[in-house]
Amino acid sequence: MESTESYQVKLEVFQGPLDLLLFLIRKQKIDIHDIPIATITKEYLQYLEQKEKINLDREAEFLLMAALLIYIKSQMLLPREIPLEEEEDPRQSLVYRLLDYQKMKAASTLLRKKEAEELLKWKRTFLPPLLEVEDLDLIEVSLFDLAEAFFAVMKRKEKEDFRIIKRKQYSVEEKIKEILATLKENSYLDFLNFFARQATLEEALISFFSLLELIKARRVIAVQERLFQSIKVWLMKDPATGHN
Amino acid sequence: MNNRLKTIIEALIFISQKPLTLEKIKNVLKEFPPKDIDQALEELLQNFSSNERGIQIIRSAGGYIFATKPEDDRWIRRLLRIERKNKLSPAALETLSTIAYHQPITLSEISALRDTDSSHTLKTLLQKKLIKIVGRKKSPGRPLIYRTSDKFLTYFGLNSLSELPTQEEISKILEEGE
Repeated sequence: MESTESYQVKLEVFQGPLDLLLFLIRKQKIDIHDIPIATITKEYLQYLEQKEKINLDREAEFLLMAALLIYIKSQMLLPREIPLEEEEDPRQSLVYRLLDYQKMKAASTLLRKKEAEELLKWKRTFLPPLLEVEDLDLIEVSLFDLAEAFFAVMKRKEKEDFRIIKRKQYSVEEKIKEILATLKENSYLDFLNFFARQATLEEALISFFSLLELIKARRVIAVQERLFQSIKVWLMKDPATGHN
Repeated sequence: MNNRLKTIIEALIFISQKPLTLEKIKNVLKEFPPKDIDQALEELLQNFSSNERGIQIIRSAGGYIFATKPEDDRWIRRLLRIERKNKLSPAALETLSTIAYHQPITLSEISALRDTDSSHTLKTLLQKKLIKIVGRKKSPGRPLIYRTSDKFLTYFGLNSLSELPTQEEISKILEEGE
């Protein structure tokens, strides 16, 4: 049973105002070339009202579209002495944009299918992101090595001229998430490079604690291919599930 | 002679990390008559198309590359312990198809077509090397111009941009949706 009334989707799932508008048009089974602007404006505004606070950075476009819809509605309501020519329909340019957008969405659907087909074929370009630690003859780095490397980087950083513009709060939880995300993307993390990138001493310290936390929980492993070579941090496989 | 050529070409394709074009093969094998190369490649492709092999040679981004067959995917994933491969996010895919169909294109043009700010997505696509910067537009602000890359073609299994879904295919999808 499908009930259009109770079918509500959150604003966040839409890629933009056109996406939302298209969804409403489809839901109402409206002809895109002849949009009942009053109805659709009402529906559209209802979606915006679902959100108590609008995130201006991300959702300003949604507000802009609302303004445009209201503008078009007011244009349509104005009494005119001479009826408008078809090209002068205030909805016209919006319809063109919607049609273009609809085409692009359809093209995306086709590309999604191709992506799925292609992902099943493995090519030489693919490098396995996960390292099987037991397969490699690596030296696991001790805590002392890590600390030593960390202080070496910090010494180097000390010489740099720090000008802190704004104070940012870092938390270990956030850093842990950040490190894990980087590892998932890049498969490993170069210890020296990673700390050289940290903006402030505070951030570097938090990062170091986070890393130690992760090592303790055996979620990552710090290894060297050979003594005196750079330390690399790899993601560990979860022994229970076989992935991380 | 032809058999020798065949094995050389096979080796060249094997060692290439990117799809290897016929042009490049001919450049490397300049001592050999181009016609023989064409023929050897043709035979090589035929050999590989047999069902007895787990590896195929596919045409991609105007070149040739080794690939496994789709039906073996689950075994490969089990070996590598990969649950699934990451797909592009809806925003990334939308931005990518906007670029694909309107290239060369600037950030503000992309954002206008999608009616939403696309700078973040664009950055991700650049990082993934699915798009590339090809220059600056001669207009106020001299904005950067973007195009899809060869990696884009390989990613979607296309040989060239002309293999992108056509207007007819797109219209068909739209009709089905209604």
